[in-house]
Amino acid sequence: MTTAVEFSSVSRHFGAPDRLVKAVDQVDLVIEEGSFFAMLGPSGSGKTTCLRLISGFELPSAGEIRIFGENCSDVPPNRRNVNTVFQDYALFPHMTVRDNVAYGLMVKGIDRRTRRSRADDMLALVKLEGFGDRKPAQLSGGQRQRVALARALVNEPRVLLLDEPLGALDLKLREAMQDELKSLQKRLGITFVFVTHDQGEALSMADRVAVFNQGKVAQVGSPSDIYERPATRFVADFVGSSNVLPPDLTRAFGGPAEWASLRPEALRLVASAGARVTGRVTALRYLGAGTRVALESYGQELAVLAPAGSALPETGAEVGLDWDAKSLHMMAGA
Amino acid sequence: MGSAASPLQTGLAERLTALFWRRPRVLLALLLAPPLLWLGLVYVGSLAALLWQSFYSIDEFSGVVKQEFTLKTFGELLLPQNYDIILRTVSMAAAVTLASVILAFPVAFFAARFANGRWKAVFYLGIMLPLWSSYLVKVYAWKLILAKEGIITWAANGIGAGSVLDAVLTTPVIGGNSLSTSYLGTFLVFVYVWLPYMILPMQASLERVPTSMLEASADLGAGGLRTLWSVTLPLALPGVIAGSIFTFSLTLGDYIIPQIIGNSASFIGMAVYQLQGTAGNIPLAAAFAVIPILIMLVYLAIARRLGAFDAL
Repeated sequence: MTTAVEFSSVSRHFGAPDRLVKAVDQVDLVIEEGSFFAMLGPSGSGKTTCLRLISGFELPSAGEIRIFGENCSDVPPNRRNVNTVFQDYALFPHMTVRDNVAYGLMVKGIDRRTRRSRADDMLALVKLEGFGDRKPAQLSGGQRQRVALARALVNEPRVLLLDEPLGALDLKLREAMQDELKSLQKRLGITFVFVTHDQGEALSMADRVAVFNQGKVAQVGSPSDIYERPATRFVADFVGSSNVLPPDLTRAFGGPAEWASLRPEALRLVASAGARVTGRVTALRYLGAGTRVALESYGQELAVLAPAGSALPETGAEVGLDWDAKSLHMMAGA
Repeated sequence: MGSAASPLQTGLAERLTALFWRRPRVLLALLLAPPLLWLGLVYVGSLAALLWQSFYSIDEFSGVVKQEFTLKTFGELLLPQNYDIILRTVSMAAAVTLASVILAFPVAFFAARFANGRWKAVFYLGIMLPLWSSYLVKVYAWKLILAKEGIITWAANGIGAGSVLDAVLTTPVIGGNSLSTSYLGTFLVFVYVWLPYMILPMQASLERVPTSMLEASADLGAGGLRTLWSVTLPLALPGVIAGSIFTFSLTLGDYIIPQIIGNSASFIGMAVYQLQGTAGNIPLAAAFAVIPILIMLVYLAIARRLGAFDAL
């Protein structure tokens, strides 16, 4: 497999030398061609800066970025064969939807007729046939998002960058667009790199996920790697809000004296008599598909996800916990 | 007013607040009435009176205004001596506006995109500072600067460019005996005096162009010039138009600068000033005054047709 994008100990620092902000700090990253790659992290973790390093809007303070093997640290954005879908879409308000989509082709000097037909093809691809003559202001948020997508894809980039592409959409639309983006990527076979702070989005859409924390990559892996085998406390906590067990508690749960993670849905509530671990219920939170039971055990707060329809304990009740041994995951990198 | 408001006063204030709360339109009407009265009666009213006057004519023998509706006065505008004034003024206004756009853009662009904190303050101060001193003082100062014995001639001679200056002054039409007695001088002073009115709206509109839009253009392969032409300028156009309305109409109406600096050729403003004063020809003065209004209306219509306000 070809490597689409490669970071070799890339750093991006901002500010004066005495108050240096390390937005991206010594990042090594390999993004395979044709993959759907997610950069996941809280705000300020460096994921967006990494995306901007690929698009060329930021230049690395140190290290090297290669796109399809070519070192492009000095290549300006307009000379890179990557295109971006911006968070605010950045559609040109004074142009029609068709002219927006055809902008990249116009810049390349492609004739008007070809431009028009390719823009219309692209609009059809994102299910916006017949919208070419409208202005962006006349479209809904979801439609603008599609225009932004079409405008980037019409240039046939080898890598498509998406900066929080679904952040501004409401929940239903977001879920629909997640499926669409995924199938679009499969169909086109282009490498998609997208930035998100939504772990559910990253897990459901991406082939590979890089979790960012404080300018560094905390873990890279498949969604199931990230979710089931988090490498660090941060990853366990950020991706799916796991129960992070300190070493002594891990021992009480039957493991070695190491940091471990135990997913709330892997825990089952049982009778306290004869249970391996017991705890006192402190709060219940109804989530629809289940109920999140917060309890205190060994002075540590734990969360249990009780499936819908199961019997729920009262607040203050003493309950027992059960789990499969394999769901207790040790975190060497904690 | 006093420390202890009487119960009645409190009651009235509270009742008024409640009234405004229930009927927000009453409050709006109260707030808008004074400015609307001012604009409606004093401003639009006098404009209408002006337009009315321009349909009267003057009796050539007695010099008395004949209060009958006629287009004769407008016809007089087409006489060569009057038509010349209009053409001269409009050309000057167009030249001043064009030069202002070209000079203002880099300044406005810098202020909108790069300046922040202290540099922004320096920018505003630099632009506004000339507006704090009297317009007349500035114009007379320029007369001295541009005079034959002035600093420009002195500096040009000092660096051995005196012949260049002379060559420029021998240019037909725009040249003259010295800068202060040529169209070129009038033009320079107009540009100086009106430039802030171009920079400020331009800067405001450039500031509203999101950075992501410029990045999107670069991302789609456009170089700096292409982005400037296809994205930045169209989006800044409302500001350019707003600024050009200022520079254009201010030049069209000004009667002081061409009187002090230049070759004493008449401009619309001067014509109006002389016609309503010494000549007592109010109808022709009014007809002259209608010209800038018409030109601005046509200009705005064209700008709108070209899509200058689409990005608003």
